[in-house]
Amino acid sequence: MSTDFSEFHDELRTVARDLLGQSSPLVGDRGDASPANWFQFARAGWLGLDVPEAMGGADATFREVTVVLREMGRAATTSPYFGSIILAVGALRYVTSTDQRDDLLRRVVSGDLRLAVALATDDHLDGALTPFALQCPGGAAQLVGRGHFIPDAVEADQLLVLAVDEDGALAIIHLEDDAPGLSIEPQPVVDPTRRLAHVVADHIEVKDPAILRFRDPPEEAAQRLFDRATLAIACDSLGVAEAMLDATVAYTSTRHQFGRPVGSFQAVKHACADMLLKITVSQELLASAIEAVSVEADDAWIAVSRAKSYIGAAAVEVAGEAMQLHGGIGFTWESGIHTYLKRATLNRSLFGCPTAHRRRLAAHWFGDPLLP
Amino acid sequence: MPVGWREAQTGASDEEYVSFQKGWFNELRDAGYAVPHWPREWGGGMSVAAQIVLYQELAAHDAPRVELAFVAIHHAASTLLVAGTDDQRRRHLPAILEGEIWVQGFSEPEAGSDLASLKTSARRTGDAYVVNGQKVWSTGALHADWCLLLARTDPTADKRHGISYFLMDMNTPGVDVRPIKNAVGESHFCEIFLDDVVIPAENLVGTENAGWQVANETLTTERGLTALELAERLRNHGFRSLVQTCTIPRRSGYRPIDDPIVRDHLTAFETEISGLRALCRGVIERHEAGTARPAEASLVKLCYSELLQRMTDFAVATAGLSVHTQLQKPMSGGWDSGAWVLDFIGSWEWTIAGGTNEIQRTIIGERCLGLPREPRVPNQ
Repeated sequence: MSTDFSEFHDELRTVARDLLGQSSPLVGDRGDASPANWFQFARAGWLGLDVPEAMGGADATFREVTVVLREMGRAATTSPYFGSIILAVGALRYVTSTDQRDDLLRRVVSGDLRLAVALATDDHLDGALTPFALQCPGGAAQLVGRGHFIPDAVEADQLLVLAVDEDGALAIIHLEDDAPGLSIEPQPVVDPTRRLAHVVADHIEVKDPAILRFRDPPEEAAQRLFDRATLAIACDSLGVAEAMLDATVAYTSTRHQFGRPVGSFQAVKHACADMLLKITVSQELLASAIEAVSVEADDAWIAVSRAKSYIGAAAVEVAGEAMQLHGGIGFTWESGIHTYLKRATLNRSLFGCPTAHRRRLAAHWFGDPLLP
Repeated sequence: MPVGWREAQTGASDEEYVSFQKGWFNELRDAGYAVPHWPREWGGGMSVAAQIVLYQELAAHDAPRVELAFVAIHHAASTLLVAGTDDQRRRHLPAILEGEIWVQGFSEPEAGSDLASLKTSARRTGDAYVVNGQKVWSTGALHADWCLLLARTDPTADKRHGISYFLMDMNTPGVDVRPIKNAVGESHFCEIFLDDVVIPAENLVGTENAGWQVANETLTTERGLTALELAERLRNHGFRSLVQTCTIPRRSGYRPIDDPIVRDHLTAFETEISGLRALCRGVIERHEAGTARPAEASLVKLCYSELLQRMTDFAVATAGLSVHTQLQKPMSGGWDSGAWVLDFIGSWEWTIAGGTNEIQRTIIGERCLGLPREPRVPNQ
């Protein structure tokens, strides 16, 4: 990586850490989450980092997006960044340019429109990429389906839906918030920092300009959208893990028992070393995956599945160890550690749990299993 | 590439092993691949990027490891290059290329993890030092021509400031080498007994009583590429053998490779190896760029050794009883030979040697994370 890029990343990281850190659950005694200020994100230029300048973006790459994502994990930020920027901007990047698509992209990047994308976030590795279908009874297109665990849909001004048409082709459908037949209900989860929703499409009429077609081949473009989303969650998990190790080192360096800092005891120090090792391996796997996704490598999914399966699990282990090493205080609501542990566990499951990613990798490495 | 070397090296005698190692080293040397990390003037000069490719290719083609010459081309050479005199370099670097074998005489029975407390003494008498004491865990001592020796020259000084670094001819009277049989049943490492061994003063490296500092400067120089080679081998012969083992049907027809739990574990190993390989490349590249992070070698050692142990353990646990009948593993083939029970037992060599993993975790905690140090015991 060139020095220029490193400097840009350092600057981006510093600004993000400063801005997001103020609302970290580790600051003050807040165990509850409140959303970050979207317009600050827009002013910081985070909404269009990997969007072309012509669309109002910064013309950078997904590498820069991941710098921000990692800081959001580090601060356990509550914001619709994932739904609007990772999923929606991602979807709009992978569909062919139309007036409607360009307009949506410009408005999202400027900060005055927030979007979400309804698609499978849970079991897409073993089943369909989306629960939504575009049907054409008697010529008029209608969108039907029920989606769950849809990120940031309640907060979104408008919705994009990944749907499969009657020919089996995937497309992105743009819906107004008040489209007749559309219902969006919050779906509370234990992690207080992410907002998920049920989305029901009950025979919503769809006009042609609202059907955004993927770049060719659609399956591949859709796969890249899922890679982007999956990797984004892995970035977040790494940020969570890094925050937890930092907090643990700081705490055990100052907390004294038996007349010495508890971090000087081998049992504690060695557990911290193990946390660092997991984080170090995670950093390497993440860097490989970011590179593969940024250059749109054909086999980028391999690096993504490696990263997501490893980091998803590692972040839970590191956050769990952080709770352990903080002792009683770590188990309190006000410490904020639990917020990170909850976020790490949700991250581990979002866009494929570790075993699902490894099933996909195993099929690639070893072929399909012989059935008994 | 020597054809069929794994078979030939399985159950090979000590003589066959030594002759194979020397022959393979000569072939690599003639091809320009034996000491790529040395400066050009001494026969090396390969760029680090090319060395990475070289080790990747050696692993991909399942080349034998360079074992017998390992200490000579790495530790001895870096000691001579960093701290040796011109005369010492001229005497030994060309000789190493001609097959001079070196051994490390650092650890002692009472100085393992706490190496600086070593007791072997070197007393100056005229133009020579007279050395008495005992060394242990000296890999390859039985075949060594020369020894990198740490001995105490000032028993009154602080323990890190009374040690000197010597080049010792193993043929000197008073040097007695006895092999130690390890847990696998092999005898690579040895005890070295030193009884009034005379070392000429010209064989002192650096200044008297600065041996600890010399050792610290030269110990870590090769870690990156050796670790990279081991990681690449783990992905190639190691992982392939593991998958192969899991593909063999049992009498019932069951193949572990069809079992979702086995596939999950194998894939997790592959992912971890990918992380390790990337880490090794990163360590080397950062070292080159002058942006090395503290104690990276400790992280790499911890990562490799415990992954090796878990992988070999998994192979043994999954493969059934038949793997227990493999009573020999090939020499020159490293720690992931596919004779899984012996590989598993052998993996403790990596979690213990070169500073136990407990020591590595302490180093990582203190140097990478800045955690408070253990209180020092008085008089240490």
